[in-house]
Amino acid sequence: MQVIKVDPKKCTGCHQCELWCATEIASVAKELAGAINEEPQPVPRVYVEGKKLALQCRHCVEAPCLDACPNGTMRRDAETGLVYVHEPTCIACWMCVMVCPFGIINPSPTYKVAIKCDLCRNMGYPICAEVCPTQAITVEPRQDYRKVF
Amino acid sequence: MRYVLIGGSAAAVSAVEAIRSVDKLSPIDLFSDEKTPLFSRVLLPYYVAEELSKPLLNFRSADFFEENKVTAHIGVRVREIDPQSKTAAADDGNTYAYDKLLLATGGNAIIPKIPGVDKEGISPLKTMQDAENIYNFKGDRAVVIGAGSIGVESCISLMRRGVRVTLLEQLGHVLPTVFDDEAAGIIRNLIEQMGIEVITGERAIEFTGNGRVQSVVTSTGEIECDNVILSVGVRPAVELAEKAGIEIGMMGGITTDGGMMTSCQDIYAAGDVCETFDIARNQIFINAIWPMAVEQGRIAGSNMAGQDKQYGGSVRMNSIGNFIGIPAMSMGVTRTDECSYADEECHFQEIKKRTQNTYKKIILKNGCIVGAIFIGVGQTQRSGIISILLRRQIDVSDYIQALMSNNLNFMDILPLLRRYGDKFTEPEYKELMDTGL
Ligand SMILES: Cc1cc2nc3c(=O)[nH]c(=O)nc-3n(C[C@H](O)[C@H](O)[C@H](O)COP(=O)(O)OP(=O)(O)OC[C@H]3O[C@@H](n4cnc5c(N)ncnc54)[C@H](O)[C@@H]3O)c2cc1C
Ligand code: SF4
Ligand code: SF4
Repeated sequence: MQVIKVDPKKCTGCHQCELWCATEIASVAKELAGAINEEPQPVPRVYVEGKKLALQCRHCVEAPCLDACPNGTMRRDAETGLVYVHEPTCIACWMCVMVCPFGIINPSPTYKVAIKCDLCRNMGYPICAEVCPTQAITVEPRQDYRKVF
Repeated sequence: MRYVLIGGSAAAVSAVEAIRSVDKLSPIDLFSDEKTPLFSRVLLPYYVAEELSKPLLNFRSADFFEENKVTAHIGVRVREIDPQSKTAAADDGNTYAYDKLLLATGGNAIIPKIPGVDKEGISPLKTMQDAENIYNFKGDRAVVIGAGSIGVESCISLMRRGVRVTLLEQLGHVLPTVFDDEAAGIIRNLIEQMGIEVITGERAIEFTGNGRVQSVVTSTGEIECDNVILSVGVRPAVELAEKAGIEIGMMGGITTDGGMMTSCQDIYAAGDVCETFDIARNQIFINAIWPMAVEQGRIAGSNMAGQDKQYGGSVRMNSIGNFIGIPAMSMGVTRTDECSYADEECHFQEIKKRTQNTYKKIILKNGCIVGAIFIGVGQTQRSGIISILLRRQIDVSDYIQALMSNNLNFMDILPLLRRYGDKFTEPEYKELMDTGL
């Protein structure tokens, strides 16, 4: 399966990925000039915080969010292995939020829906990787470390 | 290989998925004595509140059994299992042979022995049938007995349907097993602002009425009502196991080994029916919550299909979701005195941060997190970071400030994870450790 890799040596903390993620995925306008004036503000699914490293859903092998979701809203795509929120059925119970070890599920107070990265599964290629000016974010096949060591 | 699974809810469905991930063909017979298949119990309060219609209560698609080649016996109760002949007798008159059997029978609502409890208009909220009964309650005045999370959710559901509700709790504060006094105080205010009457420190001693309930008599007064919801807890449904001579533990649940096998060879158990090792309490406990049922179901299912998986232990976790308007969650113990086997060597710390509308607390035992509470917008998104540190029992002594910060994020604790690298071997962690930060 494909996952996102982030190289902290290249990440400058410029927040381009956040900006574009919010615009492309979350805004209504789908372009920056319109998106920044939207109410409620579009929220990104990638976070550049503290240390310079963009962090988004890691699409865990045994994902705690999948175990916790009580109504099958959190799903794994059988083909790609990606974990995504089937938004229409989310009841905003925040069980997934409580167990995500990376803290990257945003409990949206405005839409009553859990918001997280799905690797832009409906767009083909993740926007954060596309827009990163230093190519700090790349998409690579997942290595099974347990087999390596 | 022949699999028989008893129960059709979180634990059993998770076991089906685990079995099918390794064994695509062997026959699976699944029994559930509830008429509606594949509904999520957690959503019943939403059904009562008229927020979700019946089809939306499903947690897997309607063709789940078909797709996974499961012969589902819906509405069929298993009467008896016989470990000697390795068979299960169901009330459809047939006997089913098994090689591996799973007990995922969940729990039964506790019906307190209060005089008049059998009157009409009194119901627990556990099964689909209960939910339908409550949905069809007539009258506009209700009392909910027990202020656990199901009790609180029930209140709000009824209130949203226009019913006037009183919440009665015999202990000193609401959500006694979920929150400490301070957090419970915040929640109580919110519930009261919604128009729900909350009475704590008072117990129901009688239900009056002629056939149908008319009032609840409490230790100091009487509350008139048309309906009562009982939410004083659930008890593991161990009847089948007991009859088969399977070991039942101190807490009243089925005991299992680390691979979720019961005292009886080839019989496994998972979910609310089990007692498991509670990581936070450091003792055997029953943590009857959805995520644990799913986890245990997966371990049991994998092992039934010939794998060798060990269960790492359970932790209580509750999220009150959007019921009260703000996010509120807690995990592990809420007070230090809930930790058993604490001796003089144990060093406890409670760290709290409070603003008018938010509250965060972490409880440490010998430097490891054993409990946490998060209330209010902005407090909850990073709660999962705390939960993983709790579950893996990582010494966080030198990270307390970062953990209590409003800006906590995963990268802050990455060095800590690297220090305990052998406890974080999954690829998703290694990928980040790899980055050199
Ligand atoms: C109203 C309500 C709200 C809840 N909210 C939450 C929440 O917000 N978060 C959370 O984590 N948890 C919540 N829970 C708890 C959660 O629903 C349970 O932890 C979970 O359903 C446990 O799953 P299980 O598979 O172990 O057992 P159960 O869901 O109890 O299912 C067991 C099934 O087995 C059947 N069965 C029993 N004996 C037999 C037999 N002999 N033959 C055939 N079938 C049998 C039962 O009828 C039942 O259908 C809630 C529970 C309720 C009732
Ligand atoms: S949301 Fe969190 S728990 Fe779920 S797959 Fe992504 S990183 Fe893992
Ligand atoms: S908030 Fe939504 S996605 Fe998360 S556990 Fe609840 S229903 Fe599932």
